[in-house]
Amino acid sequence: MTSIDNWSATCRDFGALYVTRPDFSKQGIHLSAYLPPEALLDMAQKLKDEGFTLLTITTAEFTEGFVVSYLFDSFTESSRLALRVLLKDKEKAKVPSLYSIYQGAEWHERESYDFFGLIFEDNPNLVPLLLPHDLAGPPPLRKAAGALSSLKAINFQGKLEYADPDFPLAPEPQEPAELATISEAATETGPSSGNNEGGA
Amino acid sequence: MASWLNFINPFTIDDDPGTYLGDFYTDNFEKGAQKGNVILNLGPQHPSTHGVLRVLVELYGEYVLRSEPVLGYLHRMQEKMGEVKTPYQYLPNMGRVDYLNPIAWNWAYAGAVELLAGIEVPERAEYLRIISAELNRISSHLLWWGAFVLDLGGVTPILYAFEEREKINDILQIVTGSRLTMNYFRFGGVGQDGDERFFALIGEFIPYMRERLKMYKDLVTDNVILRRRLEGIGPMDRDLCLRYGATGPILRAAGVDYDTRKAIPYGLYHKFEYRVPIGPPNDNFGRYIMRLEEIEASLTILSQAIESIPQGKHIIDKAPKPAYKLPPGEVFFAVEGARGQVICHILSDGGKTPYRIKLRAPGFSNLSLFAEAAKGTILADAIAILGSLDLVIPEVDR
Repeated sequence: MTSIDNWSATCRDFGALYVTRPDFSKQGIHLSAYLPPEALLDMAQKLKDEGFTLLTITTAEFTEGFVVSYLFDSFTESSRLALRVLLKDKEKAKVPSLYSIYQGAEWHERESYDFFGLIFEDNPNLVPLLLPHDLAGPPPLRKAAGALSSLKAINFQGKLEYADPDFPLAPEPQEPAELATISEAATETGPSSGNNEGGA
Repeated sequence: MASWLNFINPFTIDDDPGTYLGDFYTDNFEKGAQKGNVILNLGPQHPSTHGVLRVLVELYGEYVLRSEPVLGYLHRMQEKMGEVKTPYQYLPNMGRVDYLNPIAWNWAYAGAVELLAGIEVPERAEYLRIISAELNRISSHLLWWGAFVLDLGGVTPILYAFEEREKINDILQIVTGSRLTMNYFRFGGVGQDGDERFFALIGEFIPYMRERLKMYKDLVTDNVILRRRLEGIGPMDRDLCLRYGATGPILRAAGVDYDTRKAIPYGLYHKFEYRVPIGPPNDNFGRYIMRLEEIEASLTILSQAIESIPQGKHIIDKAPKPAYKLPPGEVFFAVEGARGQVICHILSDGGKTPYRIKLRAPGFSNLSLFAEAAKGTILADAIAILGSLDLVIPEVDR
């Protein structure tokens, strides 16, 4: 049992909603797991105890809500894990801050606060970091309703390990046999379809 | 503190909060300050903060009780620009994210796009990428070395550093066409093949630089004044690096054997034999010596690369054109920059432009540990610690 299997199982223990195993040579991560926000701190503590570091936090907005991705890496073995939370209620989006475990998260969280208006609970200094404190208007990386994509449009590839039936990315329930090969078809057409002809 | 000092220094903490003259960040910082302490703004224009970084410090006498970097003076919406430009149009931006180490950022973005789109890179192009990246790493470390010693009061070394840096700029100018914000990589290769002069100049530069490194050691590294300013100052252990996500020479000085080139090999780095320097010491001197030894490692890679570079194309035949669209998908791509791990995270929905681009700047995480590392040191040492982090503010602010 590899350590990625272990982490996959741990994510399931913490109530993960959607777990996939991407192809590292194509996507640069070994495991992607959507966790419920309340499980985030416990999971981060476990990663910290095992010597993982938090490299960065990426927030993105979709029609389904905000997705906050935490990229973890271990210094001793190559295991890059992307833990994510999906925040469905955009107006009242709140995530627990990882500051108590990873102090470096403070700035990454403030960056998401700047650009998406996300509130990180218990962040000790949630004031603008990169943007002016008196900037008017909506957070600059929020998208207009017409420009939003759904999570499915991103085509997160990888072997599906677990999907909560209510999760937006979960496959249609009537065909359980296809669970394991959700994105295989897209894998084949995706990379080589390249719109190479282009032209300016 | 004496009341007359309160009178002449409006930034001295007083009981009456209505008398402060600070801006938003000073006011925010002052809330936690103790009565009688001095709040001082370092920067944003002071040369020792390297660019336009501002650091708020609370001083008790000469001791730093608390500090808080204030960012954003050089924020240029790089991530937003990535969402409104096609991948090809966005490529030149990468040279401007970190102007001292543009090639690493070139590589992070080009590599991420190639990974997502499944584009293969010719072997000769991979060699040219390694050559340019290592030359760029050396020039970045050289400028850091000169500027760091300048921070500590030594004026001469930066003049030497610039002499070497000029030579590297001359070499890289042949293939990239520019001396600062280089835009050399293309999706599927590099912009231009190196000519005879290019390789000849590198061949001359390697032994020259090795000689100069000896001179650096005699002139600067073994200097007793420099040693006293560095040794034992600003220790950063593994746990601190882990909690803040620090990478690069800071992490390696803390004794962690982690270099992206070896940990997650990209390009053709697995074909090269070189030693990545590892600490301890994990103090200012450790980080200083790490970077000088990394120059040696880069020279080793360079000499292997110019000897074994194969013939072939420098770019694939059907290289993406300006209107090239990314297929839908997600990718993380990491490279080892001069300051640490550079990561480009792309989310694409298959549209004309990427849906979301996240640029992970190593300097951002490295700077975030400053407040903790500088706690309790004297102000002059805090400046030395700040310098040892090798900050490039455009990269931190993006």
